[in-house]
Amino acid sequence: MAPMTHEEMAPAARRIHLARQTLVFTLLLALLVVAFTVSLCVGRFSVPAGRALELIWQGISDPSRELAGIDERIVLLVRAPRVVLAALAGAGLAISGAGLQGVFRNPLVSPDILGISQGAAFGGALAIMLGIWGFPLIAMVFLCGMAAVILVGLLSRINGRSETVTVILSGLVISSMFSAVVSLLQFIADPNTSLPAIVYWLMGSFATATWERTLVAAPGLILGSCFLWMLRFRLNILSLDEAEARSLGANTIRERWLVFCLIAVIVGSQVAVSGIIGWIGIVIPHAARLLVGHDHRALLPAAAILGAGFMVCIDTLARTATAAEIPLGVITALVGAPIFAALLRHHYRERTGS
Amino acid sequence: MALIVIRGDTMVPLSLFITTALRRRMAAALAAVLFAPAAFAEEIVFKDQGNREVRLAKAAERVVSIVIPMASTVIALDGSTRKLIGMNPTAKSAVVEGILGKIFPEAKDIPSDVTAPNFVPNVEALTAANPDLVIQWGDRGADIVAPITNAGLTTMLILYGTEELTRDYMTMAAKAIGKPERIGELVEWRDRVQKDIQAKATAIPDDKKPSVLYLGRALSDISASGTKSNYNAWSIQLAGGRNASEELNGTVSVNKEQIAAWNPDVIFLNAFEAKLNVDWVYNDPILSLTNAAKSKRVYKMPLGGYRWDPPSQESPLSWMWTANLLHPEVFKYDLRTEMKTAYKTLYNYDLADSDIDNILWLKEQGAAADYAQFEAK
Repeated sequence: MAPMTHEEMAPAARRIHLARQTLVFTLLLALLVVAFTVSLCVGRFSVPAGRALELIWQGISDPSRELAGIDERIVLLVRAPRVVLAALAGAGLAISGAGLQGVFRNPLVSPDILGISQGAAFGGALAIMLGIWGFPLIAMVFLCGMAAVILVGLLSRINGRSETVTVILSGLVISSMFSAVVSLLQFIADPNTSLPAIVYWLMGSFATATWERTLVAAPGLILGSCFLWMLRFRLNILSLDEAEARSLGANTIRERWLVFCLIAVIVGSQVAVSGIIGWIGIVIPHAARLLVGHDHRALLPAAAILGAGFMVCIDTLARTATAAEIPLGVITALVGAPIFAALLRHHYRERTGS
Repeated sequence: MALIVIRGDTMVPLSLFITTALRRRMAAALAAVLFAPAAFAEEIVFKDQGNREVRLAKAAERVVSIVIPMASTVIALDGSTRKLIGMNPTAKSAVVEGILGKIFPEAKDIPSDVTAPNFVPNVEALTAANPDLVIQWGDRGADIVAPITNAGLTTMLILYGTEELTRDYMTMAAKAIGKPERIGELVEWRDRVQKDIQAKATAIPDDKKPSVLYLGRALSDISASGTKSNYNAWSIQLAGGRNASEELNGTVSVNKEQIAAWNPDVIFLNAFEAKLNVDWVYNDPILSLTNAAKSKRVYKMPLGGYRWDPPSQESPLSWMWTANLLHPEVFKYDLRTEMKTAYKTLYNYDLADSDIDNILWLKEQGAAADYAQFEAK
């Protein structure tokens, strides 16, 4: 699945390709804007759409003004940070998935494979058990997520090198180890207080989103994604055959680890503020690939925009469908699993040529 | 010389034919003949809430409560900690955090390693404790019951939820520990207070009933309960309130926007989360704009001999506290005096004024609306 670059195409084909890309990106951005607007206008507390948009405009034009009314606070302090955080997290997860799939040359891997999510989950569950809330919890989650990646790195390093398959297996090992400890924590957790909190947190939610939390997660999500975007050419090379990539002068091992670290920063930041959200990192990049092809220069931004829009839609559903908050993990799995199944079959058919 | 029977062409000692069960039956028959009046006078037999027959040769002297609230109930029923030899870690945290640990300092030493907090028994620790009776939930599956009965321990199953069930299992427990005379007065007290509140509450017109939100959890995620078979919703209704979250099904997570939409007149915070207090509501940009916060009607449930949110031996105090807060003009219970009387009866303890202040969190929420009524006169 080596991507074909623009330069390799005939001029006419290239023009069509560019026109198509422009159209796809315009549509994706338009959909994202619609998702954003709708999400800001709907919720359990009734605020007329016109009033909600007016409040958003006021919030943007005069961010320092005093928020007196409850509708203002709902729109600007509850919905807005939640929508922004969901969008950033969705974009981060999708771009991480796309990057990782390129590095592994396998469209079926997801960011969970490096053990980050489970490591971070352990940090979160431990913090809840110890009664730690707020920023110390976020810090603990982030550090444990990073620790998981470091452990995977150490474990997969044999004679100074780490092969792709060793990385995947090491990720599996570390991931299972952390999930076992999380289970242990759940086992000893107080069923009246910390246990439901841990379980709910493990299922993922943006319910606790505030501007402060958004600001805590944003640097990791934005910088990680931007650096990944800067590596788009490298990703194109890394997604080639190992020997071919080396012959093009790539230090595959070092670059691969650079990508892993960026992904750890992105996923760690996301899990820290919103718990584990599965499936986005695997399904969205694939959808984006169907729309714009394998070239990471187009694939990464397309995955990011699609991931952001998709996550905003899912979160809007989670918080508005019923009086009870539906955990995000439940919806993403319900939507993601069938798509993944279809994807698997599609792949199998392609491989066997039937 | 051993008795031998011939079966086929081998000779087998007769003792092999006498099974353990047969031996037990023979011993029992012998005992029945020898000590008939004494043996049967003490035997305690009753049906538990799992609809099983519980049979105790005599009043249980060593009781383990795997369920959380029953630990303090057993102490209250016996009037001492003598009979409670094991409890749930979560029950123990209430003992340590609340006043029970002060009334009965030795309660802090009762082991809690007999079960995980999630009610899965540690059968070896449990068996080693050698209990006469183990109290376990009857509605959470056989997996948490079978290991106990398989270990040959006598188990009493109880069900959670309603006031009727609470009275019933408290009566069963009193009977099992040989203190049936203790329960009459406690049930009578529950009945009297409940009827008194009910009689006054029915006179309150519906539009005068405040909407009340009870938050079972608040810190990491926020949860509220529907009305159906929920004890907190029931006690809110009893005291003349409307459950703000009645549209929910079960106890589930909700978001702050939903709470704003309900806009409750009163918010009760649970007593389970030690770090939770009313400032959590007042410092929140959304919750601080609810009717409850604006009128300073946010209260954390007290923590006495047990937490006041779930049913316990102290429930009538909890109802009076709720009623006085929801309708201070209708209900005028002298809660401090009631508490002193109740604690004398339940734990044979004379509550000091400072004890009452601590139980009712007077220092933390004394400034709340209508809370001055609970101050020492």
